[in-house]
Amino acid sequence: MFYWIYDVPSPTLAVGMIALFVLFYWAGLILVRPVLRQFVKHTPACNDVVGYVLSCFCVFYGLLLGLIAVTAYQNFSQAEANVTHEAAALSALYEDVSQYPQPYGQNLRWLLRDYARYVIRYDWQLQRRGIVPVEGTIRTQAFEEQLLGFQPRTPAEEILHAEALRQFNTFLEARRMRLFTVTASIPAVMWYVVILGALITIAMVWLFDMKFISHLLLGGMLSAYLGTMIFLIAAMDNPFRGEVSISPEVFQSIFEHMVEE
Amino acid sequence: MTLCPAPPPRPTRRSVIGSGCAATLPPPRPTRRSVIGSGCAATLVAARRLGPLLFAGCGSLPAGRVLPVGLLHSQTGPLAISATPVRDAQIHAVEQINAAGGLLGRPVEFRAPDPRSRPNLFATRARDLLEAGAVALFGCWTTPSRLAVLPLVEEFQKLLFYAVPYEGGEASRFIVYGGQIPNQQVLPALEWLQSVAGGLRRRVFVVGNDDRYGRLIGYLVGRWLEGRVLRPVGQTFLPVTLSDFRDTVALIRDSDADCVLNTLSGNTSVSLFAALAAAGLDSRRLPVVSTTIGEDELRNLRPDQVEGHFATSAYFQTDPGTVNAAWVEGFRREFGFDRVTSDTMETGYALVHLWADAVRRAGSVATTAVIQALRDGRGFDGPGGRLAMDPATQHCAKPCRLGRIRSDRQFTLVHESPAPIAPDPFPAAAFPGWSCDWTQAGLVRGAEVKLDGDL
Repeated sequence: MFYWIYDVPSPTLAVGMIALFVLFYWAGLILVRPVLRQFVKHTPACNDVVGYVLSCFCVFYGLLLGLIAVTAYQNFSQAEANVTHEAAALSALYEDVSQYPQPYGQNLRWLLRDYARYVIRYDWQLQRRGIVPVEGTIRTQAFEEQLLGFQPRTPAEEILHAEALRQFNTFLEARRMRLFTVTASIPAVMWYVVILGALITIAMVWLFDMKFISHLLLGGMLSAYLGTMIFLIAAMDNPFRGEVSISPEVFQSIFEHMVEE
Repeated sequence: MTLCPAPPPRPTRRSVIGSGCAATLPPPRPTRRSVIGSGCAATLVAARRLGPLLFAGCGSLPAGRVLPVGLLHSQTGPLAISATPVRDAQIHAVEQINAAGGLLGRPVEFRAPDPRSRPNLFATRARDLLEAGAVALFGCWTTPSRLAVLPLVEEFQKLLFYAVPYEGGEASRFIVYGGQIPNQQVLPALEWLQSVAGGLRRRVFVVGNDDRYGRLIGYLVGRWLEGRVLRPVGQTFLPVTLSDFRDTVALIRDSDADCVLNTLSGNTSVSLFAALAAAGLDSRRLPVVSTTIGEDELRNLRPDQVEGHFATSAYFQTDPGTVNAAWVEGFRREFGFDRVTSDTMETGYALVHLWADAVRRAGSVATTAVIQALRDGRGFDGPGGRLAMDPATQHCAKPCRLGRIRSDRQFTLVHESPAPIAPDPFPAAAFPGWSCDWTQAGLVRGAEVKLDGDL
């Protein structure tokens, strides 16, 4: 829905998000607060009442924000672990097939190299757009076809072939896990709750009876931090999108080793 | 409880200035109005400054702003070993074009589905690509795959750039044929065999697959050699799946041939060379000139079985020249230190650049505009020399080179035509009355050519 935010550089996004919340708070302070205050201005000890309600609300809202932040971080970490696992399996498989007799070994190495190159150059571009890449599958199928076409002739080759097949399955599993996490994100309904919670928090602060300058300062600080929290969650959500995302660096280092061997 | 008691009235900025004694007055305290005013002003300034930053990156090209092209190469199945390197060479070309700024201000985006070496899937994949908006197709390997795509490019009126040497006898205004045809490859090789440099050979045996390529070349060779000192002493057409060539070798031996023209597909050639070596027929006694063996196919052949035999092509990796050296180095830097380059790869690579140059000159990707630009004959200086489309036939002029196979699976050049040979897809020896000129009358059909066997 708001995927365009991942096209914005992170520092700009952070500043923008904070500015948005602060400006929203200040605008509401001028435009909405006089209306809202009508409802509570005759309440005895109004600030105490609003303070109690806000404290109670912030406990729930804080918990929600905390849990969502943890979930986003876990998603991110899991996706990062999948990428590392896939790259490690690819590297091990490359070493295994290097021992095959020629031209099998060379053909298999070329196919794996081609896969790594494709992942770095093209898979990542698509993942950054939230698209699950498919042409990498063609490359794994080509590799599988070549691998299964090899007929071991000695016991040593049989052992090597069995190990390569096992390693290939590990690699395929890790690849599949990576593709699953391309679209992993916090459900939209949770975002609605987060945004609603932020609005209620801000609205409650508007109800306080304070000096105008104090309102601007204290409410502005609270809004700024709300903006920061929401920026953090948004940046870590969708682990392959935006600047705070998983890079193909591990594949890059393996590929450089492959082409310069 | 009131946190904010009403402040006492205080002088405004205007009244202070108007009093004429500002120096003696304390600095004015901010009023609500002045704070709001300052805040609004600061907000406007911030919006003006931050606006461009906030939306930076949102201007990246949407999917519809790219130029999609289709790469139709088998990545699995029996053709994969030969076709995948051509795909890589064409990806390399697309990346070079994008690195130089793209075409018409737009990046070129390739899509490379896998037709799995099956002609029917070539048609399916080609339709998918064309329906998805591909502005040109590059690919196909065998004649059946090309013929499966031909009606689709004619239906969608898009160009197919075909990089593989083929048997000729075909013309379409929607295909640019970049590979050699027999008058540029097979016939000059036969000329060379009967020359002093070629060993004054007099009896040639033709071995090919039982398909359109093998049959048509066999037919053409038989017709073309009529009245020449080199004469055909036998020909055989074998299934692609054949792996036991002992009977074929016996046939060659019995024919008393002193040279062999091999048009077998690359993988089938492995068994032929193994059988020849087993029968003690080495390159000194019975040289084999192959039309379908390049550097990639040589990797699957044992050097001791093929060393000294010949291949005819328009390009070898060992060709001298700075353009070729730079290309080979660049390709290896991208795809790996041990990758080899071959004739079909070179043609595939050059065809992508040929198309890109034509699009730049035409200022459009429209097929008619691109064909018009291709017809100016300016061509592209590729690693194997200049590649330019012949406006009449939409084939390309190509040199004929003959290379001797070395033990390191590379070629030593032994013969090269003095200049690129003009394409003749309908040699009179095999196609009397046939001609093609897309700038004039188009394809003129002669008498029907009947070949033996079911094609």
